[in-house]
Amino acid sequence: MTRTEPDSLASRSGLAPVLVGRGLSMAFGPVEVLHAVDIDVVPGEVHAVLGENGAGKSTLLKLVGGYHTPTAGEIVLDGEPVHFRDSTAAEAAGIVMIHQELSLVPDLTVEENVFLGHERHRFGFVDYRSQQRSTRELLATLRTRVDVTRRVRQLSVSQAQMVEIAKAVSRDVRILCMDEPTDVLTGTETEVLFDLVRHLTDDGVAVLYVSHKLDEIKTIADRVTILRDGDKVGTFQVGDLTPTDMARRMVGRDLADMYPAKQPVPEGAEPVLELDDVTVPGHAEGVSFALRKGEVLGLAGLVGAGRTELFEGVIGLRPASGRVRKDGARVHWRHPEDAKHAGVAYLTEDRKGKGLLLRSGLRENLTLQALERFARPFTDIRKERAALHRAVEEFDVRVARLDVPAGALSGGNQQKLVLAKLMLTTPDVVILDEPTRGIDVGTKRQIYFYVAELIAKGTSVVLISSELPELLGLAHRIVVMQDGRVKGIVEGDDMNEETIMAYATGLRHDPPSVPARAEVRRGAV
Amino acid sequence: MPRLTRIVLVLFVLALGFGFAQTVIGVSIPAATHGWTGGVNWWAAETKARLEAAYPTLQIVISTAGSASEQANDLEDLIAIHQIDALVILPFESDPLTEPVASVKDRGVFVTVVDRGLAREGIEDVHVAGNNPALGRVSGEYISERLGGEGNIVVLRGIPTVIDNERVEAFMEVIDQTNIEVLDMRYANWNRDDGFEVMQDFLTRFPEIDAVWAQDDDIAIGVIEALEQAGRTDEMFVVGGAGMKEMILRVMEGDELVPVNVLYPPAMIATAMEITALNFVTSVPVLGRYILDSPLITPENAADYYFPDSPF
Amino acid sequence: MARSEAAPAPTWRRHMRSIPWQSLTPLLGLVFLLIIGSLLHPAFLTPTNLLNVLTRSAFIGIIAVGGTFVIIAGGIDLSVGSMAAFLAGAMILVMNALARNDLEPLTIILLGVGMVLVAGLLAGAANGLAITRGRIEAFIVTLGTLGIFRSLVTYLADGGTISLDFAIRGVYRPVYFGSFLGIPYPVWVFAAVAIIGAIVLHRTRFGRYVRAIGSNQEVARYASVRVERIRTLTFVIQGVCVAIAVILYVPRLGSASGSTGILWELEAIAAVIIGGTALKGGSGHIWGTVVGAIMLSFIGNVLNLTTAISEYLNGAVQGLIIIGAVFLQRGRSGR
Repeated sequence: MTRTEPDSLASRSGLAPVLVGRGLSMAFGPVEVLHAVDIDVVPGEVHAVLGENGAGKSTLLKLVGGYHTPTAGEIVLDGEPVHFRDSTAAEAAGIVMIHQELSLVPDLTVEENVFLGHERHRFGFVDYRSQQRSTRELLATLRTRVDVTRRVRQLSVSQAQMVEIAKAVSRDVRILCMDEPTDVLTGTETEVLFDLVRHLTDDGVAVLYVSHKLDEIKTIADRVTILRDGDKVGTFQVGDLTPTDMARRMVGRDLADMYPAKQPVPEGAEPVLELDDVTVPGHAEGVSFALRKGEVLGLAGLVGAGRTELFEGVIGLRPASGRVRKDGARVHWRHPEDAKHAGVAYLTEDRKGKGLLLRSGLRENLTLQALERFARPFTDIRKERAALHRAVEEFDVRVARLDVPAGALSGGNQQKLVLAKLMLTTPDVVILDEPTRGIDVGTKRQIYFYVAELIAKGTSVVLISSELPELLGLAHRIVVMQDGRVKGIVEGDDMNEETIMAYATGLRHDPPSVPARAEVRRGAV
Repeated sequence: MPRLTRIVLVLFVLALGFGFAQTVIGVSIPAATHGWTGGVNWWAAETKARLEAAYPTLQIVISTAGSASEQANDLEDLIAIHQIDALVILPFESDPLTEPVASVKDRGVFVTVVDRGLAREGIEDVHVAGNNPALGRVSGEYISERLGGEGNIVVLRGIPTVIDNERVEAFMEVIDQTNIEVLDMRYANWNRDDGFEVMQDFLTRFPEIDAVWAQDDDIAIGVIEALEQAGRTDEMFVVGGAGMKEMILRVMEGDELVPVNVLYPPAMIATAMEITALNFVTSVPVLGRYILDSPLITPENAADYYFPDSPF
Repeated sequence: MARSEAAPAPTWRRHMRSIPWQSLTPLLGLVFLLIIGSLLHPAFLTPTNLLNVLTRSAFIGIIAVGGTFVIIAGGIDLSVGSMAAFLAGAMILVMNALARNDLEPLTIILLGVGMVLVAGLLAGAANGLAITRGRIEAFIVTLGTLGIFRSLVTYLADGGTISLDFAIRGVYRPVYFGSFLGIPYPVWVFAAVAIIGAIVLHRTRFGRYVRAIGSNQEVARYASVRVERIRTLTFVIQGVCVAIAVILYVPRLGSASGSTGILWELEAIAAVIIGGTALKGGSGHIWGTVVGAIMLSFIGNVLNLTTAISEYLNGAVQGLIIIGAVFLQRGRSGR
């Protein structure tokens, strides 16, 4: 636990650490989230910081990047203690941060964003042509093809992330801090990013890399510092640890069984939610399938396949046509409230933008969707508080105080809160859209087991996910969509990554004529 | 085809002839945002109807504006669209409208200016003016005479403008020569609600008030309401101004609280329109300057100034 | 021993810390004004003066209670001043017309009151539906209706003033000038509207939804809140509040004209913001709005009671106090 790699690495490479953090602690109000953590980073190295959500990884990075001032401890740059007043001061010293939440201005163009605050001037005017040229070159090294004069608002999330990275490396960077940069990137983009990181380290840049993805750390990092609940578990050479070792140290226990054992769907289970020729203009076209009682139905597809929009259409968040049946009866939900009354709940993929009121309290967030249960006619705050205590317990929301705003929770805990909010409406069909995006392994596992619990109670689940292992681990059947259409429904032995990817990329598709109801009667697991 | 051409030609000639036969008078006045301008609007419409009925060759176009710049735009429209031969204008403000009116004049249009004059002399053919200093002076003279040259008064002013300044300066010239003390002056914006609130506060502040100069009848109505609420109607009297019909009626009925009124007639727009029309339908000389007096309205002569159909 | 002595202090301090200081700043501003006022003139603290000012603040205050709902839900209503003028004009015309039909004055007044409440509700609903159904920004819709209501009242008045029939005035007058237990009726009504408003905003489902929509409309929609319905209702509440203010306003001067209620919209919005509601929506309280409205009235009153400040500078002093009040609040809550 107290091995002293810095010395060994420094002596091996003959380089002194460019940055050292000593005894860094951070408290928000009375809550200390980081306890006396030491960290150092050497030029040319990728130093990963690994931990569950809420372990303090992002906080540690923000201390280094000048976003927060540590409550105790010091930061030493080139042997000199430094105090950054803000992130601009840190940037001036060559410490550049790439955020977990994108920090681009949506209504400025790509090029304007990259040069925001560092505009190049010519005769007193911004030299757009030179800026555009440089931006284009930068993005070319990232193998990202976007028009630099487009507004960031029009980009996909992963494109925006690449712009964010381009913006960071356009500065004179000595220490690059990256906070879960690959969360929204595709596999190829991740590869490109890694190439870039290697490039930068070859040039002597030091990289601090926060992630909870073990395989990534194995691929890219030289050393890894593991945090758990704000404490440093230790700093290790990545080569010395297997992913399992890392996971164990991170969670503090074994993660042998990530997924709960799959229980078969009962024989002859009735369909609870049937889609028949459902079209959401511009996003999904003629979609038909059925969800049976007690089933986890996976929904696979690449980003942009229309899965999210399909279900937003079904529950009344956007215009849709076609036939939907709930428990065999035709329904037409014009508004999410109709779907709520029918016992259908949808968990949005956009937790921060559509799932939580970040500035409001946990209680207000928890009860928002089922407020009628707490208002007769006046809101019963005591009852709400009781519900919050129950939810925190049941969903294992880890938070020091219950009177903080929802935005103060870590990603995983936010997700648990949204899930708790959803479940207060006592739905019998739950649509989970990317329920584990951006959350750590431990919380993921908790969510998987929660899904299993739901199924055992007779609830049915639609699981929309971009993580194939998750779909394979939980779903009884998987519907694969591409370009707004169902390309195939796989089950049994066909449930493997190759088959799903073949459907998802359009290499393979089934004849679309199979009617939903007939297929359900025939189908069994 | 030839027949069609002929019809078009005939229509065209008819239209031309019709146009030539007509004299178009444009009337540009402020929109009816308070009582007095409301009166101006009513008198303008009234006079338009009468003049057009009396003189079939006259056509009168009225346009109302909400601000000085809007009024300048209206002038351009009157020239371009209605091709006016004469303009009767009650300018919103003197300075910003001087040049626009001058350029109307340069096109050979007959110009009559009403109420406030333009900033430069020699533009208008006819000027029909109210007498703002006279309104202040007459009010001051009545108050000082009634109080016997001593006592305490409060003054509610209008909106900070030239008109308000002229009235207040003339009023103070009279008062300064007496032993009357002006306890305070505050702006009440020619508005009833402001008149009410300012007077409430005056009543709180000053235990003894002998007279109120409200300058304008809208303000006076608010003042009276505040006096009634405080139960101090017997202690003082109120002098308004402009000749609002409700106030004239009170004077007629011999109301102790409102013994007199001072005229500043919105009907001056009618005077100006009549004079302008005369220039076109007769050969009587009209050019020059007409100053309407601000006479004191007393119970004896009030009936002459009472127009129950006017909104003001 | 030292420890046992020190022990009470932290409890006391903890107690102090639990007081929500930044939400008290509107009140502090008011207390400050009261102190200034009492130093300026001995008559300032007399019950008559205080009640005068409280009564005056009732119009803006009641309108601002409605405005609090609109603003918290992320909207804005610029039309309230014109709407008040229009409703007052319409109410007087209706009552005058009824007076010609040999009805009891009291019946006429009750009919007038009922009519104006319905009209206010409809006017608010028109604003709300144009915004939610028409998908037009609240700023634009209410800027439009500001002009519409204003010119409608001018039209109804023929450019002049609409005055209430004298027979009715006598009966109606006490609604503004009368009092109960020494407190004028408008103050009672203001208090009642504020209390009901506070209960609705803070203790009902509707109020919670209003705040949720103001902080993030999308989150509310995804949580199956009827966003458009709630937003429309905030404008309806605003319309009804304007109507209540009008019911108190008409008996004061018994008249309405094109200059009635000019700039009330800005005063109402200022009262809401001084009271601590965020202009961008999401959070706020009714009682802050009440304090804000009373404060605005006291600023005017204090300025009228002194000759120390030139009457030409009234507006500047008013502006400074408003900015100062909001600055205090933001300065504190920003940390």
